[in-house]
Amino acid sequence: MAMEVTQILLSAQSVDSTVRKHAEENLKQFQEQNLPVFLLSLSVELANEEKPADSRKLAGLVLKNALDAKEQHRKYELVQRWLSLDVSVKGQIKACLLQTLSSTASDARSTASQVIAKVAGIELPQKQWPELVGSLLSNVHQVPPHVKQATIETLGYLCEEVAPEAIDQDQVNKILTAVVQGMNANEANIEVRLASTRALYNAIGFAQANFSNDMERDYIMRVVCEATLSPEVKIRQAAYECLVSIGSTYYEKLAPYIQDIFNITSKAVRDDEEPVALQAIEFWSSICDEEIDILDDYGGDFTADSDVPCYYFIKQALSALVPLLLETLLKQEEDQDQDEGAWNLAMAGGTCLGLVARTVGDDIVPLVMPFIEENITKGDWRQREAATYAFGSILEGPSPDKLIPIVNVALGFMLTALTKDPSSHVKDTTAWTLGRIFEFLHGSTLATPIITPANCQQIITVLLQSMKDAPNVAEKACGALYFLAQGYEDVGPTSPLTPYFQEIVQSLLNATHREDAGESRLRTAAYETLNEVVRSSTEETARLVVELVQVIMTELHKTLEAQKLSSDEREKQTELQGLLCGCLQVIIQKLGASDPTKYALLQYSDQIINLLLRVFACRNATVHEEAMLSIGALAYATGPNFAKYMPDFYKYLEMGLQNFEEYQVCAVTVGVVGDICRALEDKVLAYCDGIMTQLLKDLSSNQLHRSVKPPIFSCFGDIALAIGENFEKYLMYAMPMLQSAAELSAHTSSADDEMIEYTNSLRNGILEAYSGIFQGFKNSPKTQLLIPYAPHILQFLDSIYIEKDMDDIVTKTAIGVLGDLADTLGSNAASLIQASVSSKDFLNECLSSDDHLIKEAAEWARLAISRAISV
Amino acid sequence: MADENSTPHKRGPLKSSVGSAAVQRRRDHAVTVRKERREALMRTKRLCRVGVSSDDADVPVDADMATDEEQSVLEDQTVKSMEELNLAIAYQGKGAMQKRVNALRELRRLLSKSEYPPVEAALKAGAMPTLVQCLSFGSPDEQLLETAWCLTNIAAGKPEETKALLPALPLLIAHMGEKSSLPVAEQCAWALGNVAGEGEELRDVLLSQGALQPLARMMLPNKGSTVRTAAWALSNLIKGHAKAATELIRIDGVLDAILRHLKRGDEELATEVAWVVVYLTALSNVATSMLAKSDLLQILVDRLASSNSLELLIPVLRSLGNLVAGDSYVTDNVLVAGNEVTVRVIQVMIKCLSSEHRVLKKESAWALSNVAAGSVEHKKLIHSSGAVSILIRLLSTSPFDIRKEVAYVLGNLCVAPSESGRPVLIVDHLVSLVGGGCLSGFADLVRSADIEAARLGLQFLELVLRGMPNGEGPKLVEAEDGIEAMERFQFHENEELRSMANQLVDKYFGEDYGLDA
Repeated sequence: MAMEVTQILLSAQSVDSTVRKHAEENLKQFQEQNLPVFLLSLSVELANEEKPADSRKLAGLVLKNALDAKEQHRKYELVQRWLSLDVSVKGQIKACLLQTLSSTASDARSTASQVIAKVAGIELPQKQWPELVGSLLSNVHQVPPHVKQATIETLGYLCEEVAPEAIDQDQVNKILTAVVQGMNANEANIEVRLASTRALYNAIGFAQANFSNDMERDYIMRVVCEATLSPEVKIRQAAYECLVSIGSTYYEKLAPYIQDIFNITSKAVRDDEEPVALQAIEFWSSICDEEIDILDDYGGDFTADSDVPCYYFIKQALSALVPLLLETLLKQEEDQDQDEGAWNLAMAGGTCLGLVARTVGDDIVPLVMPFIEENITKGDWRQREAATYAFGSILEGPSPDKLIPIVNVALGFMLTALTKDPSSHVKDTTAWTLGRIFEFLHGSTLATPIITPANCQQIITVLLQSMKDAPNVAEKACGALYFLAQGYEDVGPTSPLTPYFQEIVQSLLNATHREDAGESRLRTAAYETLNEVVRSSTEETARLVVELVQVIMTELHKTLEAQKLSSDEREKQTELQGLLCGCLQVIIQKLGASDPTKYALLQYSDQIINLLLRVFACRNATVHEEAMLSIGALAYATGPNFAKYMPDFYKYLEMGLQNFEEYQVCAVTVGVVGDICRALEDKVLAYCDGIMTQLLKDLSSNQLHRSVKPPIFSCFGDIALAIGENFEKYLMYAMPMLQSAAELSAHTSSADDEMIEYTNSLRNGILEAYSGIFQGFKNSPKTQLLIPYAPHILQFLDSIYIEKDMDDIVTKTAIGVLGDLADTLGSNAASLIQASVSSKDFLNECLSSDDHLIKEAAEWARLAISRAISV
Repeated sequence: MADENSTPHKRGPLKSSVGSAAVQRRRDHAVTVRKERREALMRTKRLCRVGVSSDDADVPVDADMATDEEQSVLEDQTVKSMEELNLAIAYQGKGAMQKRVNALRELRRLLSKSEYPPVEAALKAGAMPTLVQCLSFGSPDEQLLETAWCLTNIAAGKPEETKALLPALPLLIAHMGEKSSLPVAEQCAWALGNVAGEGEELRDVLLSQGALQPLARMMLPNKGSTVRTAAWALSNLIKGHAKAATELIRIDGVLDAILRHLKRGDEELATEVAWVVVYLTALSNVATSMLAKSDLLQILVDRLASSNSLELLIPVLRSLGNLVAGDSYVTDNVLVAGNEVTVRVIQVMIKCLSSEHRVLKKESAWALSNVAAGSVEHKKLIHSSGAVSILIRLLSTSPFDIRKEVAYVLGNLCVAPSESGRPVLIVDHLVSLVGGGCLSGFADLVRSADIEAARLGLQFLELVLRGMPNGEGPKLVEAEDGIEAMERFQFHENEELRSMANQLVDKYFGEDYGLDA
């Protein structure tokens, strides 16, 4: 029953776009009209040795795309469709796929491998296709090497697609054995060895049991280490990738091998080709990651019996590892500072050196200082740059006591280098290093300041001068100024930057106006630095910040003048508007924070809103996130007066809420709804029908990104707080949504940290909604409308308490809800409250909490409960 | 699709541009601001209750009623009472004094009400300058008393509310003088105690303004409640301030007063005085040495033996520990073997070690470890007492911090100082402690992540390996999985521990180990 599809598939790759589009259309129709025949036809095409290579390959790819998609809900749909296909059709397709693994056409084999893995990803967790692994393993012993290669490749993809739990340990053992055998030096065929090494990379996560067994682990490690010495560069690279993955997956098993690994990696870093050397460095970077994590866990609690002990591999290897990494710093590429995606030995080595510094702290300093001293004054720019980079890399980790004396000596030298060094590479790295100095060694928490009245002026003069240098250097100088300003954020009423404020602002604005400000992200850096300077400024310069409002408005106005833009120009316009709106947002927050400056700001509020509305109008399908954030800031500053802007602004608010495809836009807008509710209070009522409709629609969409759900629930609470008992008409829609979300979030089914974190944020959103609704209804005659929901809410509190995996934020919100319920419902809920676990054990636990926010909420809840039950 | 040249581990470079992180930080900041505002609004809504009758203002104050008082009503009343007070101060006619006192009393009553006294509302309504005015010299006692009482309640509020008292401090101190009536002085002391409790900055202000002398003088007479308040205020005042502690003990009569109140006062008074002693002995060598030569030790022991009040036992026990640890005079001259007081010290320690309260257990183990560090006679005395069996039990069953203190005691019992510097082993103590089953507890300490505890454990294992008769040590250690515990140090970052453990393993469990078994 398969149909002939060769011609359509070939047409779909035609150079003639009309022919191509027509063919694509046909394929789509075919798929929609008769999925089983469509899929079967594709698999038959893929398996047929007589067909052209191009049509076979595309058949495989289309088949693969019919089984999987990036988007979660689409993926789910495709999986369900496959599962509901007729068993015999699926059987035929699978037979074709397996048969293709023996094809002489390598593209066809490789495509079939991937499709098999996708099918396995769907079926194995359902306990279907149980014979797959067995039949693949029997293939491994086939004589033709290409069959063996394709089979092992398939096993590798399979491990990538399927979770370890879906495969029996017995089969895992067999897969690993086959893969490791294939990597062995006895295997004559290079393609088989390469496929095996890559397959092992995917299978590392399956080898838990094997890595706990000394003999098996030794064997795997030996084979991997041997493969790093293969004559084939691709095999060496793949073998190091395995080693990196082993290093982070089985850190605690590495001790017996670490010396050998150090030997082979250092040889690779020094002598091997770049892709291999980069992986060898990556091994040590990932060991640093592990040890930093473990030591972090140690740090919190001195009795911590951490699951994984720290073996201090980095510390032990330090005296050999550091010189190795320092050597790599001298292998810079000429144009790496201009190329944003650059990644080479020097960059990887410096990055690793930075991680090593964070792992071992002070011990690294004496090992790096001689290198710096020897190279910093050399004639070759590579040596000066490497020395500077080494210094910049180790500024995070060692103690300020150790670093500050060195920095005090180096600072003058660096400022001279930034002005006078002939090499732009050296200047770039010097400015970056200054930024790191200010980031880690400057600020109110440090006892000895490195910036003093004696050197402050010189530092600022040099940085401002460097903003006229090449774009990459200027960008780094902005970065340095950014951290310099940040260090003064809690400086008190007088800031050392005050005398330079005007000059700094002017230099930053000049930098944004440079013709070449688009290069090296200079414009972004200059605007963000301006924001930081404003944010950490003091009362002394408030007048200048007010003046800045007009400057930024003029800039924003200019972006609106341009007519008939190309799509490229439009993108640039949007980006620039984003930066300017970001700037407005910070200025509004700053000036809005105290009364006198707030009034100075508010004289511009009409103009600001008009500009922001015009920025929104530049686009038709979506809204500008940054403009939206500025609106939120302005709403706080204007308070209830924001009402006069609502008629014009509302449509953009709605547009943002509708845009759940771009979920960040949607999330930002949801947040702004909350800002507006707090600003307008009951004056927001007129817009609530529209807003609630949109929020409920978002929640019901299965396309909504899950991260937007918690803020939407919190937003229910914001609305209810603002409009009080008028929330009545939304109860019948909002409450069931909250209830079903609560049921889902009561139990975290997985031990996955990310999932637990999400579940907690969801709980928090739900609880904030409940709190807002209760407090909104308090003291109104309509509180009895909430009584029917109380049992479920108390049950929710009880069940998350019993689950014991709440974080502190949820705990605080949850105990608050208990109080809100008692506060609003009073004696009506007394018996329900008394019957709940939350009102006893949970409340008591919170009352004796160390977290004062939890304690405060709990004390309030106790008071509310005692009132409710005493009446 | 598998890309032939994929580099799956590419990480972000260390040297990156500031832009993206800055944008993210700015957005996160917007979210934080929003959360703070939401919380602030929620807090206000929770405190706000309306629709409650306000005509119960004349009902006598009652604790339960106070909690039921509604916050916004309370705030309104506070603002109103401030207006009344200002009117009363401006009024010069007949009965002016009574008007002022009435207005102050009303304000004080409001500030004493509910779990959330309307302090903020009062301050907003300008309470501070008005109250300072009411403290003017020559004001009638009743007015001073009510004013100081208002200030006491304000000082009990949030930190910034406490700080609002700054302008009133010199006058509050002045009203503690000898000419002031006792109730006024006591109320002022109470207010200042609240201020001193707020933190270092305010303590420094109070000390520089001379609060110490008048408070110390209030300790001298035998007026129970005044002394108690003064002692409480003093303990807040000298907290963390060594110079003030020394100055206090040198004031004429203070030492005698402390001893007298501690000996004769009721438990509440003794508790407050004991806290003063805790800070004196912890902070000042001068005070410790003066107290060591007095009969303080005897008094502390009597209190420990006779009281069951946890509030009292904690400061008394800590004072005793400070005394033993802080001044060799006590161990060398008072706590000598054969003295009755020495036996009694050990008895009260046993009482505290057997208590249910972890603080008492920990404090007494610490104090005892200081005694155990003394002479061989001290060690013998402890060893032959009932303390040992309790200590061994605590070593295996109590929380980590107590176990550590206990380990110090037991360890100290087994070694004596010697002239060569290397401690001498007291074999019969070691044998009996090991026989009592303490080894597994020490082996557990070796496994601890806490360096100090691990060192203690290792040191004890060393004693066992070296000192148990008939070379029994290695087998005993092995039986407690001690070898495994020591091997954990093979890669330990602490060099001292690493080499200590490695040497022990090499020396006692080297190649020959087990051959003769």
